[in-house]
Amino acid sequence: MAGTRNYDFLIKLLLIGDSGVGKSCCLLRFSEDSFTPSFITTIGIDFKIRTIELDGKRVKLQIWDTAGQERFRTITTAYYRGAMGILLVYDVTDEKSFNNIRTWFSNVEQHASEGVNKILIGNKCDWEEKRAVSTEQGQQLANELNIPFMEVSAKSNINVEKAFFSLASDIKKKLLDTQQPQQQQQQSGVQVGSNAGGLGGGLGKNCC
Amino acid sequence: MASTAGIEDASRDPPSPPSPTASFYDMSDDSEREYSTIRHSRSGKGVKLLYTKSKVYVHPTSSARDNVPGYIALMQQKPAAGDVTTPSTSPEPSARRAQRRSLLLAWVPESSLGEASSTYAKVESSTSPSPPQHSPLVPAPPVTTTHSSSLGTYAFSVPVSEVFSILVRPPNSGWWHGSVVINTRAGDSFPALFFHDSECQSTIEQRKRLQRENFSISSPEGSGGVFWGGDELIRWLKSYVHVERSAQEPSIYLIDPNDADKLSFGSGGKPTSHNVRNVLEGKHKDEPAMHKQGEDPVTKALKQARWSFLEKMAQVTTFTRRTAQAVAENKNLPPQVKRLMQSPQVQTVSDEFDSARLYLARWAMGIAEQSEKERNQRIWTAKDVLEMEETGVGEFEILDLDAQNISLADKRKPVSLQEWKGYFNASTGRLERTPDEVKERIFHGGLATDDGARKEAWLFLLGVYDWTSTKEERRAKMNSLRDEYIRLKGAWWERMVDEQGTLEEREWWKEQKMRIEKDVHRTDRHIPLFAGEDIPHPDPDSPFAEAGTNVHLEQMKDMLLTYNEYNRDLGYVQGMSDLLAPIYAIEQDDAVAFWGFVKFMERMERNFLRDQSGMRLQLLTLDQLCQLLDPKLYEHLQKLDSTNFFFFFRMLLVWFKREFSFEDILRLYETLWTDFLSANFHLFVAMAILEKHRNVIMEHLKGFDEVLKYVNELSGSIDLPSTLVRAEALFKRFQRVVEAIDRKSSFPAAPVARQRVPLPLPPPPATSPGVDGRPRQASAESGSGARRRSSSTAVAVTTGRERTVGDHVGAGVGAEKERVVTPELRALLSREVPKLDKVEVRAHGGGVGS
Repeated sequence: MAGTRNYDFLIKLLLIGDSGVGKSCCLLRFSEDSFTPSFITTIGIDFKIRTIELDGKRVKLQIWDTAGQERFRTITTAYYRGAMGILLVYDVTDEKSFNNIRTWFSNVEQHASEGVNKILIGNKCDWEEKRAVSTEQGQQLANELNIPFMEVSAKSNINVEKAFFSLASDIKKKLLDTQQPQQQQQQSGVQVGSNAGGLGGGLGKNCC
Repeated sequence: MASTAGIEDASRDPPSPPSPTASFYDMSDDSEREYSTIRHSRSGKGVKLLYTKSKVYVHPTSSARDNVPGYIALMQQKPAAGDVTTPSTSPEPSARRAQRRSLLLAWVPESSLGEASSTYAKVESSTSPSPPQHSPLVPAPPVTTTHSSSLGTYAFSVPVSEVFSILVRPPNSGWWHGSVVINTRAGDSFPALFFHDSECQSTIEQRKRLQRENFSISSPEGSGGVFWGGDELIRWLKSYVHVERSAQEPSIYLIDPNDADKLSFGSGGKPTSHNVRNVLEGKHKDEPAMHKQGEDPVTKALKQARWSFLEKMAQVTTFTRRTAQAVAENKNLPPQVKRLMQSPQVQTVSDEFDSARLYLARWAMGIAEQSEKERNQRIWTAKDVLEMEETGVGEFEILDLDAQNISLADKRKPVSLQEWKGYFNASTGRLERTPDEVKERIFHGGLATDDGARKEAWLFLLGVYDWTSTKEERRAKMNSLRDEYIRLKGAWWERMVDEQGTLEEREWWKEQKMRIEKDVHRTDRHIPLFAGEDIPHPDPDSPFAEAGTNVHLEQMKDMLLTYNEYNRDLGYVQGMSDLLAPIYAIEQDDAVAFWGFVKFMERMERNFLRDQSGMRLQLLTLDQLCQLLDPKLYEHLQKLDSTNFFFFFRMLLVWFKREFSFEDILRLYETLWTDFLSANFHLFVAMAILEKHRNVIMEHLKGFDEVLKYVNELSGSIDLPSTLVRAEALFKRFQRVVEAIDRKSSFPAAPVARQRVPLPLPPPPATSPGVDGRPRQASAESGSGARRRSSSTAVAVTTGRERTVGDHVGAGVGAEKERVVTPELRALLSREVPKLDKVEVRAHGGGVGS
């Protein structure tokens, strides 16, 4: 009963951005379709998993959530390297968090693998009366950084799904493209390897 | 004991069910041959009550309020005319069948007993292990072979001949109450009957008797657990019918199985010849051996349960979800697995093998937890403890036993306000004990939760008050501290209003203010003190203006802003609000809480430095501690690239604040503040948590990400008292090991074994995408870091491949490599709180002053 894995791709994503912009809330919305207004601060790092279907393929997303405060960057940057996609999140009601996106971006350039897919996310777009960053500003910055952009609301469940799907789909396409030439096995997470395990293969062997 | 089997016609006096005098429970199957069908009552009304037991509940819903108490009973009804056999008849199958048919296994709710209740009570309280001479009659409950009509509140009885098997779950295999489920030959299962033994007088008496007579209350059924009501039920059944325990699924007892049943039962498993032989012989040969080895019976049971469970899980992940459904509906599956398969969690994880494994691991741990609780009720004798120690099997199990150490019970009583006040001279208010005595009491017992003892004592533990101070000195101190707090608060207030300072400073200030506000509004909001918003926000521009605030949140904000001002080299960092909340909750006075927090922060500062050097040091120490105390686990973590111990980051940063309930945190913090054994006792707490889960980690977890997830999700499920006991035992063991190493190293030293001491941070390869979710091999980067590290510390600890954790240091000299105590480890023996000096904070703090 070995070797059946129930996903075709494993994609690791990372959420970064200032503290309080709603990274954990976006993740909670995407992975469990729920929202809590008084969330707790993220300490250290954690991840959640959701498997989605893209063009008939099962894509398992492992999404890492990090502490936002700059003080913890020494730790969080350690996780950049493994990520295949990075969501740069700011809060549309918090200009400072938007201005900091450039810093986050250069951090990514510095620590993440080359050519990692990115997307700019403006959260809390449901909160119009508090808005401090216009959609245009967001789009402009995204153009400048040459990455896709989306405004979302974890609270009102706007575009969260779309943002993750779009990033995952870009990564999947890229994986398929780069897979063609030679470095098939090297490219992370692509191949349905023989190593897949499954409970039968993985655990059964060890338990008796 | 020569009681007879309820014969009214005294002309014959057939042998009674075997007496237990030789061996209380060793009821040989042959004995039932001698038992013959009794004649039923002449009245022809009612059935004979052979055995009954009260406080057996049906749980119709998940709410305990709906539980229905009742009696389980074994009854004998008048056999059908043709079936009547005379007692003298040799044990023909037909005779036995008739007998079985006349036997009823019943459950009757207390409420429906009516006048018969006294009869039930009488039979139950009979101490005889066999039916009374004149079995009293009770009204016959409705006979049925399906439960559909009888679920819950109605009495039912099943002819024993219709019972195919009984699923018996002793209370120690994961459920608080032991239970039985009757499965009929027709393939139906009756609702589980839960034995609330702690309410059941007859079982309590029986336990006492057993203990008196046999010096043991262990279950005769080889489960290794405590004797419980289900044992007695099985014993009674055995005296009338053939009962055979399935070797493949030990919780199943087959009732009069035929050969085909024996062979086909448990088709999900793979019958080995050994198993088949066991099934055929109906014997449990493994069991005595199991006891001899001294293996924790729970662990054993767990292993067995896991095996059968894993097979089902394997099927789930191998086939489709549809198959999972089929598996779940498979009648041969043990119900606990069935239930698990149907639970929503499994439904979602069944296509998610990583998560499934984590879920499984947690599930396994849950069972162990539950059984540990149950085990705690057992009274341990010194002999038990010694035996376990001698076996050397899992010294970690022994750690738990301290909890039952009766001599400690007194010490573990919380210190009440009255006791606390008694420590001080009534007129001067000066402490009349040594601070150590007091700390020892608090370390072991904690402070009372409800009389204000904490409000007083915490200020001493935190160092706001000097242990040698007088009442007067403390009053003066508090007065000046209050003034100082007001001054500090005023300083930032002015700064805020006047927008003083450089642009950079102002920016920093604004940012910090925003951060504090956001964090305060998401810190411990679930505890009543911080819940709700009942006052308007003072700042209309705040993002919380709409939501509003409450006075305690505002106090928290002020205290943190004041701290941000007070310690500008460090400033406010996320996590600090978590540390302040408990102090404020106890003191409920902003100036007092502020100074308590300042003192707390003196020792916690190192956790919040920009370069994370303080965290790195602690994670490294934990790494070395694990190498020293549990090399096998360490080796496994090495394989998973998890020796950065990064999965403990959160626990160490805010001292387990996210892992325990708020109440538990208060107890934990005051314990840690005593520095009674070590100023770094929190690392032993971390180690205790790790050890608790070591088996699960070693057997189930396959990568850093899984370890991280597993450890993160322990939050809310860790039992504090036993963790503290384990941490203390680990500390003692650590102390012994260090002493032993020191003794040895006074001999000429062998060359120090060089071994990879990994760089604890950065944590990395976990996210480096490996094929199929496994992390890549350790990267070159972390490798070089490791070399740097090991040359700088110049010492290492052996992994001790051949050693087991329980070995004594010095045993197995040939296999053992040199072990050296690193400075980091030696520092753990110190009770001196490690504090940073101002220069260090300025250099690494990351605040505006640095």
